Amino acid sequence: MLIELLTKRYPGMRAWLTQRLSALVMAVYSVFAVARFLIVQPNSYEAWVDFFQPLWWRIATLLFWISLCIHAWLGIRDVFKDYVPNPSVRDVLDKLLVVSLWVYLVWATWLLLG
Amino acid sequence: MQKDSQKTKLRPGQLSRPKNLNLFTIRLPINALVSILHRATGCVLFLILPVILLLLQFSLSSAQHYETVIAILHSPFIKLMLLGLAWAFFHHFFAGIRHLAMDVHWMTTLMKARYTSKVVLVLGVLATLVLAVKIWM
Ligand code: HEM
Ligand code: HEM
Repeated sequence: MLIELLTKRYPGMRAWLTQRLSALVMAVYSVFAVARFLIVQPNSYEAWVDFFQPLWWRIATLLFWISLCIHAWLGIRDVFKDYVPNPSVRDVLDKLLVVSLWVYLVWATWLLLG
Repeated sequence: MQKDSQKTKLRPGQLSRPKNLNLFTIRLPINALVSILHRATGCVLFLILPVILLLLQFSLSSAQHYETVIAILHSPFIKLMLLGLAWAFFHHFFAGIRHLAMDVHWMTTLMKARYTSKVVLVLGVLATLVLAVKIWM
């Protein structure tokens, strides 16, 4: 039944689950990032660069950012659905949302892996 | 309120439920407060994404730029704004965790939900206070 609910026929269920999974990824990363920041205490430029040096940390951060973009897309889209009744205006806003998130995603990928 | 809704003329076919569009007369229960703040903070976090990326890129690009970023972050006004944004994140985080808990049917009765709402509000403010102490002491 659960599998049935996650097929294309119920896009709302998928969005719901995706929003929750991305929230979980971000929650775990946030706790981890704060802990790591407090332990490492990067107090200089060199230490700060070192903080972002390990590949596993860059990948974790990128995973966080991918989750964030998906999460923000679903979240803000819902906000538009609630407050912007005009379908053509909402369509434009949705497109702006998607474009800005893609820009942020490419930007973050370039920052972390470039 | 009762009087107002009786005074309202109904168009044919319109439902006769009471309408109240004056937001200042609606009492906002604590669960609704946590919920709307979750939405508002989610939107704020979205809006500051480019600023976060800019700061990160700038601070990593060179020692000189790093010092500039640190100097910016240390000005009192920016610190206050940072605290506001930090609160937004903390609130969204704790309210989000509460949301996830309720999605798996944990703490869903009205009494318990009210209790966890208070916990969420307090934790958000508390985490912000801890940060405030850390960046001003
Ligand atoms: C939330 C943002 C931040 C605030 C409000 C903040 C605040 C402060 C304050 C009040 C001091 C001590 C007073 C001073 O020397 O001016 C300080 C020192 C310092 N902070 Fe931050 N800080 C923040 C973020 C950061 C970050 C992200 C880094 C490094 C990546 C950092 C690195 C340093 C360093 C190296 C010092 C020592 C500076 C010195 O001794 O002159 N700070 N910070
Ligand atoms: C620590 C990480 C986070 C957690 C645990 C979390 C949790 C959640 C959850 C569970 C929801 C669903 C609420 C609902 O269906 O009504 C949600 C909604 C939302 N989140 Fe997050 N979130 C996190 C980070 C973020 C970030 C960084 C942003 C901004 C880019 C964001 C923006 C939003 C928005 C705009 C909504 C929609 C709000 C609404 O519809 O009322 N979230 N969040």
